[in-house]
Amino acid sequence: MQRKLIDFTNLLRKSGVRVSVAETIDSFVALDEVSIGDREVFRDALRATMVKRGEDIPAFEHLFDLYWSAFYDGLRDAFDKAAEGQPGQGKPDLEALMKALQEGMQNLQGKLDLSELAKALLTQDLSKLEQLIRQAAEQAGVGRIENMLQVGFFTRRTMEQMDAEGAGRELRDLARQLREGGMPDEQVDALMALMERYLEALRQSVRQYTERELQQRNFDYMEKFRRESLLEKSFYNLTEDEIRQMREVVNRLAHRIKNILSIRKRRLKKGKLDLHTMLRRNMAHGGVPFEVVYKQRKKDRPKLVILCDVSSSVANVSRFMLQFVYQLQECFNKIRAFVFVSELGEVTQLFKDLEVNQAIDKALDGGDVINVYTRSNFGYAFHHFWKNYLSAIDNKTTVLVLGDARNNYNDPRAWCLREVHNKAKNVVWLNPESPSAWGFGDSVMDKYLPSVDIAEECRNLRQLSRIVDKLVL
Amino acid sequence: MFESVEDVQKRLGAQGYICDKNIATVVFLATKLEKPVLVEGPAGVGKTELAKVVGLATGRPLIRLQCYEGLDEAKALYEWEYSKQLLYTQILKEKLSETMAGATSLRDAADRVGAEDSVFFSSRFIVPRPLLQAITAAEPNLLLIDEVDKSDPEFEAFLLEVLSDFQVSVPEIGTFDAKTKPIVFLTSNDAREMSDALKRRCLHLYIDFPDAELEARILEAKVPGVGQRLAEELVGVMQRLRKLDLKKTPSISETLDWARALLALNATSLDEGLVKDTLNVILKYEGDIKKAQAELGRLIARKADEETAKPGAAPAAAPAPAKKGSLH
Repeated sequence: MQRKLIDFTNLLRKSGVRVSVAETIDSFVALDEVSIGDREVFRDALRATMVKRGEDIPAFEHLFDLYWSAFYDGLRDAFDKAAEGQPGQGKPDLEALMKALQEGMQNLQGKLDLSELAKALLTQDLSKLEQLIRQAAEQAGVGRIENMLQVGFFTRRTMEQMDAEGAGRELRDLARQLREGGMPDEQVDALMALMERYLEALRQSVRQYTERELQQRNFDYMEKFRRESLLEKSFYNLTEDEIRQMREVVNRLAHRIKNILSIRKRRLKKGKLDLHTMLRRNMAHGGVPFEVVYKQRKKDRPKLVILCDVSSSVANVSRFMLQFVYQLQECFNKIRAFVFVSELGEVTQLFKDLEVNQAIDKALDGGDVINVYTRSNFGYAFHHFWKNYLSAIDNKTTVLVLGDARNNYNDPRAWCLREVHNKAKNVVWLNPESPSAWGFGDSVMDKYLPSVDIAEECRNLRQLSRIVDKLVL
Repeated sequence: MFESVEDVQKRLGAQGYICDKNIATVVFLATKLEKPVLVEGPAGVGKTELAKVVGLATGRPLIRLQCYEGLDEAKALYEWEYSKQLLYTQILKEKLSETMAGATSLRDAADRVGAEDSVFFSSRFIVPRPLLQAITAAEPNLLLIDEVDKSDPEFEAFLLEVLSDFQVSVPEIGTFDAKTKPIVFLTSNDAREMSDALKRRCLHLYIDFPDAELEARILEAKVPGVGQRLAEELVGVMQRLRKLDLKKTPSISETLDWARALLALNATSLDEGLVKDTLNVILKYEGDIKKAQAELGRLIARKADEETAKPGAAPAAAPAPAKKGSLH
């Protein structure tokens, strides 16, 4: 049992569920307390001790079924079917057969030397069989199976490891001895037929076992692949479904950043002694300073102005950037958000009024203030911003520009951005294109670069979260 | 304490808390392994309730620590009672000068005061907060740390010591060990993920929305007199409501509130108008209500089918016997 549990733990770990050694030990202790006979209770006990995150529960349930139920059930089915006999020949009277066998064996006592496998087959000890198969499979290295083509090979090796052939020989030998011992011929024949069928069922089960092993392997491969790829996958190639999953991931990242921030803030919070307040507060103690009061440092929360290109070429980057910003609203002192294609419009109010997905959908749609069905013109948008909103920027403001700087050969008007840069604390530009493409074709990134403090490539979630982290520092 | 998983189910049931086997198993293990339970799940599925009911079923008094942002050691563990210390020094001033009367040098006087300072840093001057209370109580008790996800990440560090060893150390005095280990429940709405170190020390329980059958049983236990027919219709609507994409998905507590509201209106069955008028009991956002109203026909559609299937079905079965210990 312990072996099986440890094996199962490894399987969980491989599929990305974090299970520590202490938790494995907990599960051993827990299983001492509950009856393992009840599958439901058994599963709940394992889940309570090993799986500590809601997201991991589906993976656990899937693996649990694969690992604990499926195989034993398959084994039982195979043997039940074998016991039923050949179709059309009628069901053999198993009980009578077993009784006869017992009597026959008693007569032979002392002369018998059967292997464990043969004994288990004779007595239909399924749990013993399961154990034998697992042992043999482990020795045969079934865990290393990689593809469908190896199933036959590993099945054969496991059978050899169990010495199934030897068990067959022993059983035939037993039949001969039983016959000599005076057991009626037809009963011996029936017994042998049954044993042949059992051996076949065994082979099938071993094959099932190897196939299942392959499935488990594939499952964790798939899961891991999905998770990693979402972080790494370029925003350009996301499917509808992935966008939905992505929202979750972005949410989690935003939460994590908020946590880190709260720790940082707390460390900064306590300043020097605040003598005035301390004296006043300790009047009650006769002026003896029992309560010590420190000056609270002012929270230095950055102001943020976002200029977001919402043309279709960068829509996905914008979507997740906006989602981050929405979730982190409270980490900033003040946020103003603008969207543009060629015209520029403010969508700050949307962030305050609407629920996150609605707000973002609406912002990406131009937020009723701009026309999104035009061609990108960064120069025009920056000029517009410079003309109308320059007052929004002071020396505590970080300006964040999101766009690919593909200007459709319009005038870049880089001086507008330079003016903004002169007033702001920081100008950050996130470009979904790789730096090697900046300045080629109709990209005017090179013209803007002198007025940008931080320019980053931002093509997948990993890069985006790194930048957001930097931003709120 | 509990004898088996079934025993847990039975005794919680006797307190009016209907639970499935999963919850019962975890509660049973928690009492056997003496480990804290971290209960997660959406709001209103009965996480806090579970802790209270386990307290009632085991006869242990409940000590509750409500977490919030900014909760610190002084409010969760213990605090020195400064003003009491001050008062004592004032009162004992004369006694102090007596002690120091024969002192020949300043050093001698300081030594004498020093020898007495354990008087001022003793458990006499400590205000025990919930965690220390739970540890030092003579009676076995049940500690509920509610909404632990609302607390700051660094607060978890204090919790770790308490949860793994059931002890609290006070630097000036020493370590308090638990005389009897309390049963500990932590609840979380998953506002943030708890650290792995904390999770490792806990058993984990995820309570989700109940299925229709369980919800109907809960409803009958909690709101006696609701009647079988109304209960079934109610639960049907709730189950379908939860499938909509709502900002705040209604949970069991909303189901119970709704049932009580309908009962107050003397309703024996649901119709479109009634649902429309009482939607604000179960949905807490304007947008959600609008969304639900648009789907209203579909929400109670199934009910109409049933009605045509069995015309003139007997309304409202006999009210269930009143259950004691309804905790809402």
